[in-house]
Amino acid sequence: MKRLYFKPIILGIALSFQACDQDFLETTPYTEFSETAVWSDPALAETFLNNIYFRLDEPLTDGRMKANIVDEAHYRGNGGSRDFNNGLMTQDNLLVWPSTLSRYRSWADIYKNIRYCNIFLSKVDEIPFSSGVVDGKTPKERMTGEAHFLRAYNYFNLVTVYGGVPIIDKVYELEDDFQIPRNTFAETVDFVVSELDKAADLLPVRHSGNNIGRATRGAALALKSRMLLYAASDLYNKNRYASFSNPELVSYTDNNQMQRWQAAKAAAKAVIDMGEYRLFRAEPSPSDSVAQNLVDLFLTKTTEEDIFIKYFTTPMGQNFGLYTSPNGYHGWGTNAPIGNLVDDFEMRDGTKFDWNNPAHAAEPYQNREPRFYSTILYNEAPWRVRPLDAQNLDPYNRVQTGSWEVWNASTNSVNIVYGVDTRNSTIEDWNGSYTGYYCRKYIDPNIDAQYIKQTVTWRFIRYAEILLNYAEACIELGEEEEARKYINMVRRRAGLPGLTESGEALKKRYRNERRIELAFEDHRFYDVRRWAIGPEAYQPVKIAKVVYKLNPDKTTAERPTVTHEVWESRAWNDKAYFLPIMRDEMNKNSLLIQNPGY
Amino acid sequence: MKRKLLENQIIIRLMKVSLLQILLAVIFAGGTLAHPISAQELLNRKVNIKTQNEKIRNVLIEIEHQASVKFAYRPHTLPKDDKITLDLVNEPLSNVLEIISKQFGIRYEVVGQQIILTPARQVQAPNKHSSLVPATYESIDRTVAGRVTDENGDGLPGVNILIKGTQQGTVSDADGSYRISIPDRGEVTLVFSFVGYVPQEAVVGNRSNVDVTLQVDQKTLDELVVVGYGTAKAATITGSITSVKGDVLNRAPVVNLSNSMAGRLPGLVVVTRSGQPGSDGSTFRIRGANTLGDNSPLIVVDGVPNRGLERLMSSDIESVTVLKDASAAIYGAQAANGVILITTKKGKMGKPQFTITHNQAWSMPTVIPETADAATYLQMLNEIYINDGQAPRYTEEEIQNYREGKDPWLYPNTNWYDATFRNAAPQRMTNASISGGQEALSYFVSVGTNFQDAIYKNSATYYKQNNYRVNLDGQLSKHIRYGIRMAGREENRNYPTRSASDIFSMLRRGKPNMHAYWPNGLNGPDIEYGNNPVVVTTNQTGYDRNKTTVLENRANIDIQIPWVKGLSVTASAALDRTMVNDKLWRTPWYLYSWDRETYDADGNPVLTVGQKGFSGPELQQDMADSKLVTMNSLLNYEKELGGKHYVKAMVGVEKITGNSMNFFAFRKYFVSTALDELFAGGDAEKNNGGGASVQARLNYFGRVNYDFANKYLFEFVWRYDGSYIFPRDKRFGFFPGVSLGWRVSEENFWQGLKGFANDVKLRGSWGQTGNDRIDTYQYLASYGFGTAANNIYVFNENVESKILTELRIPNRNVTWEVANQSNIGMDASFINNKLTFSAEYFYNYRTSILWNRNASVPSSSGLTLPRENIGEVVNRGSEFQLAYRDNVEDFTYSVSLNFSFNKNRIKFWDETPGVPEYQKSTGKPMNTALYYKAIGIFADQAAVDAYPHWAGAKPGDIIFEDVNQDGKIDGLDRVRIEKTDLPTHTGGFNVDLGFKGLYASMFFQWATGTLRNDYYEFNGETGNYLKRDAEGRWTPSNPNASKPRPWNRYSEYWRNNQNTYWLQNSDYLRLKNFEFGYNIPSSLCQKLWISNAQIYFTGQNLLTFTKVKDFDPEVTSATGYPLNKVYNLGISLTF
Repeated sequence: MKRLYFKPIILGIALSFQACDQDFLETTPYTEFSETAVWSDPALAETFLNNIYFRLDEPLTDGRMKANIVDEAHYRGNGGSRDFNNGLMTQDNLLVWPSTLSRYRSWADIYKNIRYCNIFLSKVDEIPFSSGVVDGKTPKERMTGEAHFLRAYNYFNLVTVYGGVPIIDKVYELEDDFQIPRNTFAETVDFVVSELDKAADLLPVRHSGNNIGRATRGAALALKSRMLLYAASDLYNKNRYASFSNPELVSYTDNNQMQRWQAAKAAAKAVIDMGEYRLFRAEPSPSDSVAQNLVDLFLTKTTEEDIFIKYFTTPMGQNFGLYTSPNGYHGWGTNAPIGNLVDDFEMRDGTKFDWNNPAHAAEPYQNREPRFYSTILYNEAPWRVRPLDAQNLDPYNRVQTGSWEVWNASTNSVNIVYGVDTRNSTIEDWNGSYTGYYCRKYIDPNIDAQYIKQTVTWRFIRYAEILLNYAEACIELGEEEEARKYINMVRRRAGLPGLTESGEALKKRYRNERRIELAFEDHRFYDVRRWAIGPEAYQPVKIAKVVYKLNPDKTTAERPTVTHEVWESRAWNDKAYFLPIMRDEMNKNSLLIQNPGY
Repeated sequence: MKRKLLENQIIIRLMKVSLLQILLAVIFAGGTLAHPISAQELLNRKVNIKTQNEKIRNVLIEIEHQASVKFAYRPHTLPKDDKITLDLVNEPLSNVLEIISKQFGIRYEVVGQQIILTPARQVQAPNKHSSLVPATYESIDRTVAGRVTDENGDGLPGVNILIKGTQQGTVSDADGSYRISIPDRGEVTLVFSFVGYVPQEAVVGNRSNVDVTLQVDQKTLDELVVVGYGTAKAATITGSITSVKGDVLNRAPVVNLSNSMAGRLPGLVVVTRSGQPGSDGSTFRIRGANTLGDNSPLIVVDGVPNRGLERLMSSDIESVTVLKDASAAIYGAQAANGVILITTKKGKMGKPQFTITHNQAWSMPTVIPETADAATYLQMLNEIYINDGQAPRYTEEEIQNYREGKDPWLYPNTNWYDATFRNAAPQRMTNASISGGQEALSYFVSVGTNFQDAIYKNSATYYKQNNYRVNLDGQLSKHIRYGIRMAGREENRNYPTRSASDIFSMLRRGKPNMHAYWPNGLNGPDIEYGNNPVVVTTNQTGYDRNKTTVLENRANIDIQIPWVKGLSVTASAALDRTMVNDKLWRTPWYLYSWDRETYDADGNPVLTVGQKGFSGPELQQDMADSKLVTMNSLLNYEKELGGKHYVKAMVGVEKITGNSMNFFAFRKYFVSTALDELFAGGDAEKNNGGGASVQARLNYFGRVNYDFANKYLFEFVWRYDGSYIFPRDKRFGFFPGVSLGWRVSEENFWQGLKGFANDVKLRGSWGQTGNDRIDTYQYLASYGFGTAANNIYVFNENVESKILTELRIPNRNVTWEVANQSNIGMDASFINNKLTFSAEYFYNYRTSILWNRNASVPSSSGLTLPRENIGEVVNRGSEFQLAYRDNVEDFTYSVSLNFSFNKNRIKFWDETPGVPEYQKSTGKPMNTALYYKAIGIFADQAAVDAYPHWAGAKPGDIIFEDVNQDGKIDGLDRVRIEKTDLPTHTGGFNVDLGFKGLYASMFFQWATGTLRNDYYEFNGETGNYLKRDAEGRWTPSNPNASKPRPWNRYSEYWRNNQNTYWLQNSDYLRLKNFEFGYNIPSSLCQKLWISNAQIYFTGQNLLTFTKVKDFDPEVTSATGYPLNKVYNLGISLTF
């Protein structure tokens, strides 16, 4: 009897497992897309391109600029940038470059971006795009153009710091041979240019709707202008590295610099001739505050001057406002302008600022050109309302980078009272700037940076640069009249009288114009290199000493005494014109040749 | 009741053996109050036996099946000529036993469900309280009396007491008392023996009263050890298995079970990295690290793999077993890193026993860093400025003011640890259990609650848990048994909205010249982010409340197949659910600052308030829900052949499926802080997200045991394992394990040695196990959206778009990592099991380790490399365990020592070509790193000039050795340091002492072979120094210092380049547990209607000996919550 009772149970247990075939082991990930899914859906493929945009280097997200490793700014609190500024980078230690001051800009990160471009281009024919035309181009044309543009941008980012690099335009598989030699400088530049030419043909002139912000024909032509301008510059044409075994890796070895200036000029002119771009508030009316115009240029989401930009929203976590604001606003005082830059801002009338001029020295922050006020926060510069805990320290909402000598009658001695934005402040003193200045450009004063992330647009390329690129090529070609015309367009917008110089004087004024107009836009680092003016640029850092002195009658002066003093050393080493390829990468790829000096 | 018993014929017969002994053995079985009826019922069970010259052992197995009893006996108890012929129909068990006992001269006793068989040649049954009339002694001159108790202090009835060297003796009575006459002359020694206990001798001397406490003998009870999918007798185990009883772990006054295991199980390396309530789990490494990948062992709780052990209550634990070698192969694919098996308690037969235990503890960090005072700190900052060629910032006068504490407003000297910590944090653990049962059903039911607070004053950090467990075992019919394990718990973690690492970072950074609180009691300022530790440790920042509910259920059914002897089927199903709810409510808080100059009319400083953290309240709620279903079926077969061959076999199949999902929602712009629910938040910037995953495994496994005459032992285990992690054609792996054992002590030639070395076993094993703890779906070419909040790209000013990235290059050949494990070992016990010893040597060779080929593939390839089966690691080592247990009269003691060694080296992996030999990692232990060698401090400029140095080196800098002697310091001067933060040697030393009702135990634990990297970034202007960094530092006036000049964060080359100056030897020895307790005498207990009461003090981590200063040697982070030292008082009552 009992046996009858058991048998079904045992049978049931045995069957319960027989019934389960192994198909249940065939699971799929719930949070990943398969390769097939991605390349059979144009919408997903587009998000793949978005990631390459996301990975383009810009300083606003991480809040630290290349200004800190050239003669624009000082990076508080990192000895790495100090060492970089003294030419101490080695193939074991690239100091701040790959991490702190750069976003997705290491050799490895850029090559990863390049792989993504290569993947897209290898898959583009599989994607079932619609054939509809938007903004004059099919989606396939547009996205193919974007991929070429992005690949060019990434190679541009390599060639400008490493010279010629291995050109990889295929998708590596695991089994491939990864040993690959560097291409020459000329080949790399040519590759960038040919990619941009392809992109320019495929991309629309102007995007509409939710494509605004993607690369355009103008972006491709503008980047080509920058590439060709760099390629024509002295560093790559003056045979500096004669003793280097492979000069072709870091420069041209022919003598065709003039031809390259021609190409650079033509490339800039091509952008100008598109007629698509204008300077923002190019002709200020007499009632305009020119400084405010320039502030607005950087705080407006979209302007007619934009050629290639990156938009931000709050979740993107743009740190620049927090990192750069004065400590008296609970900012971090990073990217602090140095006195050397401040001195290069002209007077309102277009004359040079001069400490030997008693009027200038007495009030160095008065009557400077409008860009000074839109770029620099200096002692007594008006700024946003103070946070609660600093309001009694500064009821006037003016930056305090100075100190007051106050007579203490009870002790019969001088008390020194430090401004709230100094490194002796009672608020986060260690976050104060060392230089006596703070950066204003790209900071949104409407945001309380200690709590909220700002959403200022980053401008990779704006029209003013193209005008200057064009002018520079013209100067080098001896077409000075044409050069002055275009430089003066930029100066007119900045409320300054036009230039009249020629020859070396014009070149000098031009270079200063570029320094000031494009300050804190990640240009100067490259300009100093391609112009091969390292020794001139890497000079000891000057900082401002601002003191409201004690008068003889024991009252404290109303106006401060401002001086610029040499503070931190900087030095140049010629190897710093290029970055080293890291020892680890050299070890992995035996065909690589190291840059000179490392 | 006694009358009723006397009427029973069987019991009367048994009285011949020893009525009291049996009766009381039943009553006190396992320290429980058993129900006499149960023994009677058991003996009344009917059996049908028809045998012709059958082996007695087979007969016993048959009886076991029919009567659902278990026999326990030593191998030599049954005589060699052990055949029997029986023809009994529906006969009571008692009669059968009677026949057997007569025929073979053995004696039987019923203990719970067990029937213990012992040779009948022991003492004659004496009369109660009477001494035997001596035949061999001339005179009896005096009487000795006393009491025999068990470990709990309860009287032990039925104990045989013999005068050594004679047949004279007596038996203890119901409350353990005895009286015996002894000869007056000569040294008289009494021998106390009782089945299941270690025999003990006591020299009488001049005493008239001799009390003894007997210790339970684990070995003689044929101790069963839990192994994979079953149990095995300790005596015949051939694998490398170590286990510990729950009672031992229960001694540690810790809320997290994992913290009680360090040093208890040889071969199990346990490291605790944090003491933060709720996240203080220890890391386990069985025999150290074996793979470059995931090294965590598989945890199996009550037969269900993939459960967690940390939050189980130690009082619920019956035993913990660790499978260290090929014996783990039965768990195949997940077992390469070893297996930890946890078994919870079953109900004990007998009337309900109610136990309640309460522990009240106080915990504090084992060590608190000593930081520099304000004057020293400012002095050091000045030295930095001077070194940089700048003017010092603080005048001598100011520094002097700080030193003197001249004005509490202007010149504070804050010790941030003192300001933030209280003396001790309370901790409570309370639990109650009821255990009992009868034949049809036994039960163990427990409930518990614990609470663990953090060391901060006004702490917002705590851990609170409530849990229950219902373990039922029952019998449906003669052939069907079932078991149910139901457990649930709710884990509540409450934290402030700033993490412990933020808090400890700020404590360490905390500038001594800043106020924690202003003298008027208002909150002091912060260094940054509003992180003033005295404030952000409290609930002023809002809260982060995590509630995790875990339900773990399992049911199993065992069916004895009645028509095939020895065959049974077991099926079980387990369902585990984990639900996590996390609510993060972040509110602004307020700190006060002072400009050091503004005073009000009364001359009081005017403080200004600043809002910190957030512009307004924000709420994020996270929810996760996961389910794991584990179902298995086993077929067991057991057979005795020809008297000497014993075969046991098992095959099984197991299916594991699971899924999980998570979801979150976020809102800010709350109008008020009055309601902390999502609906009350604003619409702008609200956010949500979610995801899900699945898992599936299918396994077939089996085990065959064979032993010949209990002497030659053989075991084979196998597993054929399929995991969803691998592609279809690589999905299944086969993992075998073989082990052999030889019980030398059972050989005839050994019999002469048996008195000394009573049990000696040699064993060896080899096996392969797999590891599938790798990233899932590596065989698929996959793409995924960036998951961080900022992983978006914006078009058209504000349209946020997803970004899709290549997750990996597929490795379509990805398959199992294989652990080849070899082990030899021996177990021995000497002098009546008083001394036990075991030793192991292992050689683990891990192959096909999944590792990236990053090292040889240039980054210009742009590849996100998949892991490939390329790595090979060898790990070898040994383990020893030595224990001795004895007593001197009433004083009992036992000591045990265990230690283990392990050393791994990478045999093969991807190594960058072109790296110099001395920097290669192949051939070295895993996870080592390259360091510059710090060989001193540059005393002065001449010293700098005299030795190759880093560009820009100055006097007071650390000297890096020019290792390759090329005259410059660069990356080639780095050397590989072979130690890591994981110990290569660990050990434990335990002493248990008992004297009457008092008992004490001390457990020391140590670990060596470790390094701690003491580098901490935020020193200098960004934060304070440790006192030891300040003392004896380099200054121009102290040029021959061994410590460098003050530094500013990572500015110096010897700060931003990893070097040996910051490495510390973190070997340690610590008093891990200490226990001192008292068993309240039963006479007193009985008056209070309590059957047993105990009060005790326990401690954890009370003493630590180490070279590491300021930090616990186990904690690797400079900013982690420190380990705790715990002082605990407890009381346990049993009714």
